[in-house]
Amino acid sequence: MKLTGPLQRVLTVMIADPSAPHYGYDLMKAAKLPSGTLYPMLARLQQDGLVDAEWEAQRQDTAGRPPRKYYRLTAEGLRVARLELAQAASSAPPRRAGHGAAWPAPGSTR
Amino acid sequence: MSPAPRTQRIAGWLIQAVCRRLPPDVRAERCREWTAELPAILDDQSIRPSFLRTLRALSFCVGISWTTRQLSRSARAASRRTRNAQWRTGAMRARPPELAVRAVRGLLIWVVVVAAVLGLIALLRTRGLPPALPVMLVLALAVGFDGFCLADIARATQVRYLHKWAWVIICLAQAPLGGIMYLSIGHIGRDPSRPTSSGGRSGTIR
Repeated sequence: MKLTGPLQRVLTVMIADPSAPHYGYDLMKAAKLPSGTLYPMLARLQQDGLVDAEWEAQRQDTAGRPPRKYYRLTAEGLRVARLELAQAASSAPPRRAGHGAAWPAPGSTR
Repeated sequence: MSPAPRTQRIAGWLIQAVCRRLPPDVRAERCREWTAELPAILDDQSIRPSFLRTLRALSFCVGISWTTRQLSRSARAASRRTRNAQWRTGAMRARPPELAVRAVRGLLIWVVVVAAVLGLIALLRTRGLPPALPVMLVLALAVGFDGFCLADIARATQVRYLHKWAWVIICLAQAPLGGIMYLSIGHIGRDPSRPTSSGGRSGTIR
């Protein structure tokens, strides 16, 4: 699995509460992704067995709303997501936004 | 009628239209899934004013159109891979109707090519060009096409029905009909699971 930026955002949202199911628009908003990026990605994750999908049971209190399809990380998906996100975090370049320890202060270099 | 149900109806219709691209086994479920997202978008109170919700719903449909295009493309690719794998293992070799269709298609292509070449020769003659020129042109095209077919046979993991050498002889003996028949009947795509030296596309010459 190649961890792209959009995939990283989706996994970060899903891993925040692994047991919570997410529907498509919920993930779109949380990961700030368009539907044309999210759904092909979810299809690939589902095909690889990393994400499981299930239909919402029709309830009385949904005010006639059609049942949604909810996505959730599988056990394998959770393991892979944690591993990939940890690797991405360790290999990411240090940020300038900290106290400047990783970057030389302006004028300090010769 | 308030704008939201009308937008929902139009967006639902758009989603249904683009879902027609999908393979039949997943079409209904995908359509149901994406249509069910529309109420959440149109009732999203964090998006104000309301016409932005309409725009959001329509942009959702555009994204779904892109998604269906990608999903149908990958489904077609998977189907092609399965079919080619079946050919490689010999599971589909004993299918005379498909062989007949491929042979007829090859012959039709050949007839079209011959007609085009004859038309070209006639056209060049009417322009008063030397008679050797069309012959040279046709020969060059035939040699180039045969070269392409021979290179394809050389690169192929496996070919259908006959041994590779048999297809080479057919290509050399009857240009361009042999080459056309090879591409129509004998050609199988390269095995996608087999890595190429450049790691690039399947058509890369090694």
